[in-house]
Amino acid sequence: MDHEQAQTNFSDYVDGSLSERVRAEVDAHLAACIQCRTELTGFRQTVGSLGRLKQTAPPSFLVDIKQQIYKRSHGRFFRPRWKLFGRIPFEWVSLGTIIAMLVYYIAIMHGSPSGIRPAP
Amino acid sequence: MSVDERLLIDRLIERDEQAFSEIVRLYGDKVFSLIYRMLGNRQEAEDVAQDVFITVFKTIESFRGEAKFSTWLLRIAANHAKNRIKHLARRPTEGADPDDVSQLRTLPDRPTPPVQARIEGPDAMLEAAQTERLMQESIANLPEDQRLLVVLRDVEEMSYQEIEEITGLPEGTIKSRLHRARMAIKEWLDRHTR
Repeated sequence: MDHEQAQTNFSDYVDGSLSERVRAEVDAHLAACIQCRTELTGFRQTVGSLGRLKQTAPPSFLVDIKQQIYKRSHGRFFRPRWKLFGRIPFEWVSLGTIIAMLVYYIAIMHGSPSGIRPAP
Repeated sequence: MSVDERLLIDRLIERDEQAFSEIVRLYGDKVFSLIYRMLGNRQEAEDVAQDVFITVFKTIESFRGEAKFSTWLLRIAANHAKNRIKHLARRPTEGADPDDVSQLRTLPDRPTPPVQARIEGPDAMLEAAQTERLMQESIANLPEDQRLLVVLRDVEEMSYQEIEEITGLPEGTIKSRLHRARMAIKEWLDRHTR
């Protein structure tokens, strides 16, 4: 196996998808050829570096898409929900208000008989 | 396809907002990353990635479940990215975003910073950013068919089987194009970092 043949197999060699026979031939060539060993090291580094290029979507990605769908569907889908401070959904705020009013009402009902004393 | 995935798709067909959010949460990064590395421009990638999920929302009924949902989704993403590359290639390059490396194939004489500045940054972060930029430029220099394969295999680390399903290409073709692409990237990096 010469340099060119060895280097043609670098991709499959790095992926581990060469047949045993061809892999042995490449290994034999690499053992004797410093130039191809250096090339293979660089090739492996290049392939490895590509794996570090993954990206994450921007934080507003989901919100932006939903806004687009809302706009393009003329308000049919994904109507924006009102949120207190941009975080607490309207339903929770309503529920909290009802509970608070209920607690206040119960406190008044239970508290008023002992709080009011007849005038002497 | 798993039962959970089938249920999620069924809810999406009924236009369930939570199911849609779940789909974007599950696959948003992968789709964005694939498109960003194909186009080399963040703003364009955001627009195209949004379009991909809007297409999914509109056409989910056409997903028959023969392939994995992720395969179907990434096929849409790859097609959207290819179409945008073609669109950008037709667009005049005057006044282009200086960080946009998607036009490199049409700008062979684009000036690059001096080698010293590219290699010996004042700190590791700058050097890492510079290396990333070089890698991105080397991807942008590839022909479109090779670019997709490098991004799917080496950036997104997908199996050959998945790549076959997404691209519809036979494994032999994928391997030979991928090899040419990897060699081209290596040569490009060698030229620009020595």
